[in-house]
Amino acid sequence: MKLGISAAALLAAFLAFGSAAYAEDTLSPLHWQSQGTFGSYDQAALQRGFLVYQTACASCHSANALHYRDLTALGLTTEQVADITASIKLDNRPATLDDRLISALPKSQAAAAFGGAVPPDLSNIVAARPKGTEYIYNLLTGYQAPPADVTLMAKHYYNAAYPGNQIAMPAPLTDNAVTYADGTKATTAQEASDVAAFLTWASDPNLDARKQIGLRAVIFLIFLTLLAIATKRKIWRDVA
Amino acid sequence: MSDQTKSWLDSRLPLAACFRAQVCDKPLPANRPYLSALGTLITGTLIFLMLSGAVLSAYYVASDHGAYNSIQFIMRNVNDGWLIRSFHATGTTMLFAAVYLAIFHALITGAYRLPGELVWGLKLAFLLLMMLVGYLGYAMQDGAVSHWSLHDVTLAGAGLSSFPGNISNWVLGGPAGHGTLGHVAMMHGLLTFIALGVLVLHYYAKQAVAPVAKKTVPLHPYYTSHHFVAVSVYVLLFAVLVFFAPHLGENPLNAAPANPLLVPAVMTPPWYLLPAAAVTHALPGTEGGIVAFFAAFAVLFAMPWLDRSDPRSEPGFLYKLLVVILGLDVIALGMTAAAGPSTINAILMIIFIGWYFLHFLVLTPLVTARESK
Amino acid sequence: MANAAAHAVEDGVEAPAKRDFLKILTVSAGAVALGATAWPFIDALNPTTAELAVSNPIIEVGGIAPNTGLRVMWLGQPIYIRKLTPQQIADNQAVVPSSLPDPADYTDRVKPGYESFVVVVGLNTGISCELLGNSPTDPRGPLDGWTCPCDGSIYDPLGRVRSGPAPKNLAIPRFTFLNATQIQLG
Repeated sequence: MKLGISAAALLAAFLAFGSAAYAEDTLSPLHWQSQGTFGSYDQAALQRGFLVYQTACASCHSANALHYRDLTALGLTTEQVADITASIKLDNRPATLDDRLISALPKSQAAAAFGGAVPPDLSNIVAARPKGTEYIYNLLTGYQAPPADVTLMAKHYYNAAYPGNQIAMPAPLTDNAVTYADGTKATTAQEASDVAAFLTWASDPNLDARKQIGLRAVIFLIFLTLLAIATKRKIWRDVA
Repeated sequence: MSDQTKSWLDSRLPLAACFRAQVCDKPLPANRPYLSALGTLITGTLIFLMLSGAVLSAYYVASDHGAYNSIQFIMRNVNDGWLIRSFHATGTTMLFAAVYLAIFHALITGAYRLPGELVWGLKLAFLLLMMLVGYLGYAMQDGAVSHWSLHDVTLAGAGLSSFPGNISNWVLGGPAGHGTLGHVAMMHGLLTFIALGVLVLHYYAKQAVAPVAKKTVPLHPYYTSHHFVAVSVYVLLFAVLVFFAPHLGENPLNAAPANPLLVPAVMTPPWYLLPAAAVTHALPGTEGGIVAFFAAFAVLFAMPWLDRSDPRSEPGFLYKLLVVILGLDVIALGMTAAAGPSTINAILMIIFIGWYFLHFLVLTPLVTARESK
Repeated sequence: MANAAAHAVEDGVEAPAKRDFLKILTVSAGAVALGATAWPFIDALNPTTAELAVSNPIIEVGGIAPNTGLRVMWLGQPIYIRKLTPQQIADNQAVVPSSLPDPADYTDRVKPGYESFVVVVGLNTGISCELLGNSPTDPRGPLDGWTCPCDGSIYDPLGRVRSGPAPKNLAIPRFTFLNATQIQLG
């Protein structure tokens, strides 16, 4: 009986800790909902982020590991995704659900346009940078006038977040670069935040499933451990 | 199964009776600590890694164009592929944690001393094999970092060409190129089976020198229930990492695809290879790195003879303190490797490596000789 | 926590039924954990989402003119979809199956309700060459069906072998008509 009560108390504590961590999210501008221990993706932000990606990124960057059919994970229906793909032209034909998210410009042309710098594939960009989500946000909002002592190379721009501060990509976002269907005000910071959320999802599409299964597994294993301890004690009681 | 069938099977193939006598009723000391489950945990984890590795190998493509994409395919398109890969990566973390803990435990309790020298040697052989397997597995990912690491190692391997035969070509397929990842994948699997064999040898070697216990209990149900507790706690920890920290101790830069035209800024391997990586950077040149790496293992292998104390005595306080400091030294060494190249790091690295060899070659003989008087 | 467990045990020391219950519960919970861990290993061997995406393609057949055919690749094999003319239908319905090398009735080769469409794997059943005859300008042989460029086997428009080394009729892939203009393979 006591064992049961203690186990229940432990589970309650675990869950309370979980929901507290969840409740903390979403407020600070540099805190995405998916980042808490139990945080999940904000699908509205992901959908806005895809719009920004499609408008501002996809002309030069690809996200080759993704297929359009994967976008149903953003909370879109198959019909909605089909509507989106119908408006995307690939080699003179509309994209289909089974096409990958390629860039509008071929890599060589894009590189030539930016003085030899090849726009990287964005499928895994958030995973491939330390603190990737923040990095994307900081990079997209980090364009500034260069300080007086900095001489920029030709076709380069000053960016406070980029290693070396000289980036070949011109500022891709501006206020009202997109019009959000849900009425959210499209400031540069909002767009950067949304596309950072979208790219986080692109890097780690299994985050929601991972945390859901994980929570159940951990609770079950705590229960199993308690049972194991009780059984062991019972078996060993007669060994002095 | 009817009694008749059972007795027939027992008479023809006495497996059940043998299992009962050899395993279930095996007498074990009544006072073994929970750490005695480490062997079970390490063996279980290795088998778990072999199973998850087998599933991954169904989709992995060992080519310099296919490897990275095939892993992306596993993560995104294979059912539960992300989970299997997380099992494999986190299993590696758990295995190394358990092996490092076992080595530390043997050092601090003096278990390496005669007549345990062969048991100790097999432990170290297992660690060495696991480091190779772990490295090869890391290289198989063909990420932006591991690609360049493999490039450097295969070049270093070419420097070993004066050895009899051509070990580096057999293991690594020559300087990184087409076919290298195929060799790497093959060796990754093959060495795992050899490591499993070493574990079996270790088990029997340990039996041979186990001291006679005053009071014993049968393995089942006593040590089955006892180890079940250890396994549950271990699996709980495992699950927390699998689901909430699947990339623990990895260099994020390695999540990007290999790019032969772009050297990454920080060439950090996964955490379990950090101290070894630091050691290989201690001496100049690739040959120097290889010499330093094997020297670091050689002093470990020599421990039974560097220790001047009476094998039956308890290790002294000062000796144990030094082992703890050695543990911290190795962790600090790994941290300098993780921090990336800088002048201060290079100096710290030399100091920490210097302390490592000082510990084994000077302090251990001195302190153990003194403490056993 | 552990103490609580120990006390719980002591409370019920003398009740053997309870002891068994705890053991059974522990072992079953362990078995559940093992089973739950084993499942993803097996699930990973099921077809991947990429395979599922290409394994059941929907083919538009409404645009096929009578007496012509469509060639689509499916699971690595060429699938021929031929629309027959009324004349070809009548001719082949008149054939007595027992007179053929590999007897098959007209109804065995088409789906009820869609008698003008023939769907076959376009590989000769003798030497496995890809057959000619989808386009009216191809060599179709005397029966207006398909011919094999490798061994000269001759098939009728239903894909039944009529002469040549080939021993069997053309294989028919798994497919269903979704409606009059779409079929789904698989």
